[in-house]
Amino acid sequence: MASVPRITMADSPVKINNPGSAPEAPSAEDQQKMEAAYNQMKRKMAIAEMGKAIKHKIMVLSGKGGVGKSTVATGLALSLAQQGLKVGLLDIDITGPNVPKMMGLDGRRLNVEGGRILPAEGHLGVKVISMAFLLEDEDTPVVWRGPIKLGAIQQFIGDVDWGNLDYLIIDFPPGTSDEPLTVAQNLPDIDGMVIVTTPQDVALLDSRKSLTFANSLKVDVIGIIENMSGYAVNGRATAGTEIEVAGPGGKTHKTTADENGDWSVTLDIFKSGGGEKTATEFNVPFLGKLPFDPGFVRGGDDGVHRIVSEPEGASSQAFSEVVSKIQSFVETEDSGSGLEII
Amino acid sequence: MEIPELKRIERREFDMHLTWDDGTEHEITYDDLRHACPCANCSPQRNDDSTSIALRRTVERLPKEKPTVRTVGNYALSFEWTSGCSSGIHRFERLWRLGEKQDPDNGKAYVHGAW
Repeated sequence: MASVPRITMADSPVKINNPGSAPEAPSAEDQQKMEAAYNQMKRKMAIAEMGKAIKHKIMVLSGKGGVGKSTVATGLALSLAQQGLKVGLLDIDITGPNVPKMMGLDGRRLNVEGGRILPAEGHLGVKVISMAFLLEDEDTPVVWRGPIKLGAIQQFIGDVDWGNLDYLIIDFPPGTSDEPLTVAQNLPDIDGMVIVTTPQDVALLDSRKSLTFANSLKVDVIGIIENMSGYAVNGRATAGTEIEVAGPGGKTHKTTADENGDWSVTLDIFKSGGGEKTATEFNVPFLGKLPFDPGFVRGGDDGVHRIVSEPEGASSQAFSEVVSKIQSFVETEDSGSGLEII
Repeated sequence: MEIPELKRIERREFDMHLTWDDGTEHEITYDDLRHACPCANCSPQRNDDSTSIALRRTVERLPKEKPTVRTVGNYALSFEWTSGCSSGIHRFERLWRLGEKQDPDNGKAYVHGAW
């Protein structure tokens, strides 16, 4: 039997196909759209699953750059991992990622298995995801506009196989822009945000913006950390010797060598106490001061964080005190909105 | 603006019923909700009476349907429709104002559209 020819009228929605023939294949553009929609749906489901598999999610922000946020985020992750907890560290700083360097993962590449990205594993078993793993070399700039960054962040959240984690620490670029907004919108049940500041007035002013930002997104503020707070100068002299050290701003610090001849003074290079004052002003917890420790810079450059090289040192101790306050906050907080949608 | 916490949304045929934790209950029609879309495309249309009425007519002509509701972080909801605009992120404060029959844009639609 002769088949009925396929008739398509120009500029008309009417199409007659041969009943025996296969339906018309979607165009390449339609196929691309369908694929994108499918991937987006898959990602949303993965993000919901991830919400359940990761017990606590903590955002680390600062209003201002250069306050040592990545060092603090890395330190928090390592300090938690020191307790034997399963920890992940997500470096959302798309344009200036430096967490891998601090975690000894410089030059590493990510593996993909079954369509899922496997995080790299750094010191103390901390799982790390960063844009740096995707760059050809460290001098390559990432020049992306907001929507592209947004897509990359959604991929970092939805397409990574984190497995079960006790804590996920998320390190952001400075400020209150696309990145924290995207994460706050996409990642379910965030426990809260930690705001890192240094004691100067300018840094504190920007921290206040971060606090208002958190309030606007209804994300709890776990507290403020004052970084680079005081630089300890240590020395030895004959027991009982009176020591005078000229500090910043022409301030003289006096101390006396103890019976073993040891002496120490703490210089407030960037003032002190501002973080605590801001916390009081905004009625949020103050999590503690982290000392100005040149070892962080060296350790960061060498890929060995101070917590790894000197687990019993003063800086590790300071981190451990901050972390215990964070843990007591998140482990008593009831997360989840409890909204019923029917 | 301090508002109670939203506890329950019941999607009905033409409207939704909202229950807040202080016991307040609101009914918001889908037409009102869609006309008040806070996205950057719809918001400016409410700046002027004639374009606002046109937006309202467009919304009313759309097929009546129950939206898919998703939470956006801890601060807002998004509503997905099979036709028309689904881009708006509705902060809880905005839904409260709609429920209270107040202007959700607070007199400045376009600026508010940034959210």
